[in-house]
Amino acid sequence: MGVITEDARRWADRDYPPFEMLVTATDIAKFAYATGETNPIHFDKEAAVAAGYADVVAPTLFSYVVRMHASALVPPDQLELDGSPTADVPPLPTRRAMAGETSVVLGERVVAGDVISVRKRLSRMYEKEGRSGPLVFVEMEFTFANQRGDLVSRENFTRIYR
Amino acid sequence: MSDLPAVGAETPIQVRNPSALDLFMFSASAWLLHRIHYDTPFTTEHDGHPGLLIHGPLQGVYLVQTAESWLGDRARLATITYRHLAPAYLGDSLECGGTVTAADGDGIDLELWARKPDGTVTTSGTARFVVA
Repeated sequence: MGVITEDARRWADRDYPPFEMLVTATDIAKFAYATGETNPIHFDKEAAVAAGYADVVAPTLFSYVVRMHASALVPPDQLELDGSPTADVPPLPTRRAMAGETSVVLGERVVAGDVISVRKRLSRMYEKEGRSGPLVFVEMEFTFANQRGDLVSRENFTRIYR
Repeated sequence: MSDLPAVGAETPIQVRNPSALDLFMFSASAWLLHRIHYDTPFTTEHDGHPGLLIHGPLQGVYLVQTAESWLGDRARLATITYRHLAPAYLGDSLECGGTVTAADGDGIDLELWARKPDGTVTTSGTARFVVA
């Protein structure tokens, strides 16, 4: 028993550099088109202002865009063959990863012009014996805030390695 | 009292058929570089999947949209938790829907799901919407 080695523990126990992203109307429109949104508040500033926002407003789960940039906006030589950022791959005997549970708490909406910062930490790494061998659960917590320090969202995300 | 739907009420079903273009746009907009969402030879030959995978987070967005388009301005999402139970591939049609499981003066709880026409649930979750 015990696929989580000292090496993996050291990998897990580290600080992640903070990341900031200036969110533009273009970023919002891209995500909105990609997810099939049609509400003009995501594309048209006048419509967004009429609805009570300062500028075009991001779709509800937009923080995902910020967290992907935080981990994947790296030089191409820091990516694995499958496109994963190398820094996100724990030193485990297996690299077969599956998405586990995602849990999001929503706060302030994101609008164009916001600077969203994300803090990332590994909250838990543990193993269980599965039917076909050990399963390792890696739980990450992401906290997103805007330039005023308001909470935008908090996301807990589990990746399972087998 | 809110004018939110009562316990047992069901959202209209939204059928989503993301194309290869939709999958690529989602990857590009988020800078999500995993090849299993846009590189068919890699996905089938190297990773052994039958085709490109529909992103889990995109299905999470579909769940939220299913509830949001039903509730409109009456309520906004406070929390959502979802998990992926089976892979969804390019070409799969996803029926997205939900049911109200609890209601109080402040909001409602919903069970949400995305499933294939054969009934296989690919993503399921729970969400709370609060009065806007």
